[in-house]
Amino acid sequence: MMKKPLQTKKNSKFTRKQLIILIVCIATGIIIGYSYKLTKNHEKINNSYVEQEESYREDLIEQQERNKELAEELKDLQDQLRDYERSFAKDEDEYEHLLEEAENLRLMLGTIPAQGPGIQVTLKDNEYNPNSTNPNEYIVHESHVFSVINELKISGAESISINGQRLKSNSYIRCNGPVITIDGKQYPAPFVIEAVGDSKTLVSSLKIVGGVFDQLLNDNIVVTIEEKDLIKMTSISDET
Amino acid sequence: MWLPLLGLILGLGLGLLTDIQIPAIYENYLSIAVLAALDTLFGGIRANLQQVYDDKVFVSGFFFNIALAAGLAFLGVHLGVDLYLAAIFAFGVRLFQNIAVIRRILISKWEERHIKKDENTV
Repeated sequence: MMKKPLQTKKNSKFTRKQLIILIVCIATGIIIGYSYKLTKNHEKINNSYVEQEESYREDLIEQQERNKELAEELKDLQDQLRDYERSFAKDEDEYEHLLEEAENLRLMLGTIPAQGPGIQVTLKDNEYNPNSTNPNEYIVHESHVFSVINELKISGAESISINGQRLKSNSYIRCNGPVITIDGKQYPAPFVIEAVGDSKTLVSSLKIVGGVFDQLLNDNIVVTIEEKDLIKMTSISDET
Repeated sequence: MWLPLLGLILGLGLGLLTDIQIPAIYENYLSIAVLAALDTLFGGIRANLQQVYDDKVFVSGFFFNIALAAGLAFLGVHLGVDLYLAAIFAFGVRLFQNIAVIRRILISKWEERHIKKDENTV
């Protein structure tokens, strides 16, 4: 059927046939090409998704590892901090100790006013004794004062004053006839020695058998010891 | 002979260069269209070799097959049945049959020529 017209009107038929084939081929090519391209795009997208997922997963793992590391670091640091705190607490204790010591030293130096319970020791010359020829036997000497002060210091008195004159660490006491000189100020008898500290300890140390109290009595000196609830002393800088 | 090849290459180029995005649902249709087009093309070649080629049959077959396949796929999508498989199956079988026929014709032709050559030389 087809052969005859093809052969008779060869030119026009041939071109028409060719044209149809061309169109069909082009259409097929377009479809195949487009399909191919689409699939490729798809793969690319899929691949990129997979890659993205992979990279996200890696990131996640990395982050988790980092978290772990940081948690460990945190733990270490917390341990360290605890150690620091512990040592700091120890230091603080020591510091408090030092503070107390410093306070005590200041009290001894007399640079700060002292107050608290304490004792008052009064040394008085004895009554004039006509039988005695030597007045030295019944008046208070600076050695008596010394012994009292030394005993008080040894038994832990925080601060000591004589007749209201606060004793410094470098105070000097000198006998000057009937009076004694303390840091350039003269004081007559009676001498009132005040000491801030644990009154019981101070009293018992003074009254120990064969101690200062006995010696003073032996030297015919009138000694009175009073325990006081509150003794106030000014600091050296307040005195003029 | 060179014209169809040129057309195919031109079409491939156009298809690769086009930048139209189609929704993912319609990709099934495209695969069926590819099969239909290939089937028609090979059918045309076979018809030509068997000397029963017809323009109208060829062109109508090309577009009708594609349209039918797409329609089947469309129906399948909307019915929830994978009807496009039927189209793929049918086209696949036909494609293989066509190619087999083409191969046989070509072989027989080649043998004929060989025999003739042998006769000529002898």
